Amino acid sequence: MTLPIALDAMGGDHAPGDIIEGARRAVDEYGLDVTLVGVPERMGDPRGLEVVSCSEVIEMADEPGASVRQKKDSSLVRAAELVRDGRASAMVSAGNTGATMASALLRIGRLPGVVRPCIATLMPNPGRHPAVLLDSGANSECTPEMLVQFAHLGTAFVRTRFGVVDPSVGLLSIGEESSKGTPLVKETHELLRAAPGLNFFGNVEGRDLVPSPVDLVVTDGFTGNVALKTLEGAFRFVLQNLLEALDEDEVTREAGRILMPYLVPRAERLRPESIGGSVLLGLKGICIISHGSSNATAIMNALRVADEMARAGVVEATRFAIRPDQEG
Amino acid sequence: MTNAEGAQPLDRAAVTDLVVRELAQILETEPASIEEDVPFVDLGADSLALIELVEAIEEDLSRAVGSFHIDDDDLEDLVSVRDAVDYVVAKLQLG
Repeated sequence: MTLPIALDAMGGDHAPGDIIEGARRAVDEYGLDVTLVGVPERMGDPRGLEVVSCSEVIEMADEPGASVRQKKDSSLVRAAELVRDGRASAMVSAGNTGATMASALLRIGRLPGVVRPCIATLMPNPGRHPAVLLDSGANSECTPEMLVQFAHLGTAFVRTRFGVVDPSVGLLSIGEESSKGTPLVKETHELLRAAPGLNFFGNVEGRDLVPSPVDLVVTDGFTGNVALKTLEGAFRFVLQNLLEALDEDEVTREAGRILMPYLVPRAERLRPESIGGSVLLGLKGICIISHGSSNATAIMNALRVADEMARAGVVEATRFAIRPDQEG
Repeated sequence: MTNAEGAQPLDRAAVTDLVVRELAQILETEPASIEEDVPFVDLGADSLALIELVEAIEEDLSRAVGSFHIDDDDLEDLVSVRDAVDYVVAKLQLG
């Protein structure tokens, strides 16, 4: 029996309207089974989708850990409990990222040995499988040991998700040389180099994120989030400039008419909305975190990602990534 | 007062064991490395780890005594294992 995906209908800048619209489209276009979790009197028309009712909402400004404790009947906490209780195959939220992480951590739980889950974001990598950036925002402060754990989780993830036998691991820094970077980066470099079971490539720089010479790039959540948002902003800036150039005069407009059929599909693949959401690795269940500004398209794609992660057996693949000695 | 199975009396030593065991599990470290008077933050516990600890203590003690809740207003006073143990001992009147 296929379990539904639990969608936090109240989370995100455009909730609940765009969230419900995205869920409806995921059902219609991808044939997914989606359960909305939300406050009925604030949701409006659920568009024929099943609803699990709750009475509270964790707002974007709420303190993550405290809000999960204080708002036990919130859409986020209830969605995580559906995964914990085996009533949903995955949860998706575009709400408060910290509270999503806290809900998942406290309700779904960590895999053996995992100190902290990390957000793994797929980066466009034309011509080959996406590279994975982790942590892209769950843990602002990390220890070198946590970054090594992220490398192990990411390695198991890439192996399962993309069939890469021995994924290469890059460490985000400001230079290829091991002597460069913060104390965290330098200490992590030494640990990664000595870690058994990892194919450590060495340091990579910000320009190596897209396209990437490695299968996964490891960094702390603060740096990862800054890098990710910088790329998103740069992409929008370049695209805007390109579109303006193609609308400058009659000659460029004619060029635009010829080029657009080639450019639009490429631009679509690079838009954050097309990627939809990122998976939290290191949990006993699947949790997909979407951008707070997610529109209906982003939610539809986040639900697709959740379904792909469940089908790929990501939890099973990462279960013993940190504690291989516990594998039966 | 005893735990749910009635096998071990729930006294200060048992509460200390419980808090240390749960914290060690959350921090992925050995219980022996946790000192009772060292602030949680110096042991590597962030705010999320402390919420995990509080929920674990509540769950364990609720199994033992029926229902146990730590008030959110009291959380900021719990900065070390000893503080947490003192709080539980006082609340359960373990003497």
